[in-house]
Amino acid sequence: MLATMNTCTITKLARAFGLSRSTLLYYDRIGLLPPSGRTAAGYRCYTQRDRQRLERICHFRQAGLTLADIRTLLSSSGKPNAKLLERRFRELGGQLLELRSQQRLLASMLKGVAAGKCPPAVDRVMWVKMLRAAGMDDRAMGRWHTEFERRAPDAHQEFLVSLGIPESEIQRIRKSSAEGAW
Amino acid sequence: MPTKMTKENWIALFRDVGLTDAQMKKWHHLFETRHPEGHQSFLEWLGLPAEKCDLIRKESR
Repeated sequence: MLATMNTCTITKLARAFGLSRSTLLYYDRIGLLPPSGRTAAGYRCYTQRDRQRLERICHFRQAGLTLADIRTLLSSSGKPNAKLLERRFRELGGQLLELRSQQRLLASMLKGVAAGKCPPAVDRVMWVKMLRAAGMDDRAMGRWHTEFERRAPDAHQEFLVSLGIPESEIQRIRKSSAEGAW
Repeated sequence: MPTKMTKENWIALFRDVGLTDAQMKKWHHLFETRHPEGHQSFLEWLGLPAEKCDLIRKESR
């Protein structure tokens, strides 16, 4: 019966999708894409339906969904599971933010390299000490950050980077600055 | 809003939070005596020409 349909071997199917044979073996093992049949000799036989299922799997993989999520999506017959897709959508949003802040950090590093000059060779503790010694209290320092952020946000970022402050802490400082929440 | 920090902007920033001229002078002095190299690169970062940096540093000692 299967032999008369438009079936193909695992190697042929893998090649058609640019995947390795072992990937398809794995998909079979985890129950994501079990072949619809076997030849008399026990070889996997993939049908047109299997091929369509693999097409959808690849499509979801391109969107970055995990194999476990894809299995859930494909098993909920009929309408797609919107919650899963929305979660992935939100994850991507978070990753984009992270990437953007990495990019900003690199941009300020590159600017320093291109200009051939180093940013201030003074770290955060030294700065705070000097400002305090000059008469700036904690309150004033908070306001100083807020004004810095308002007047020249890029320079504020660059300045904080130059003090060797980690990116997550910089984001926290800038957020407090923007909100004036000190 | 200028994205680059300038000397004028920096001074305005200090003034905004209530630092007096005397305190700013003191700050330059501290910067110059404690971290001379840091002072130099900070002034360069503000975009000041070399002669102006020299002058400010000399006056800060």
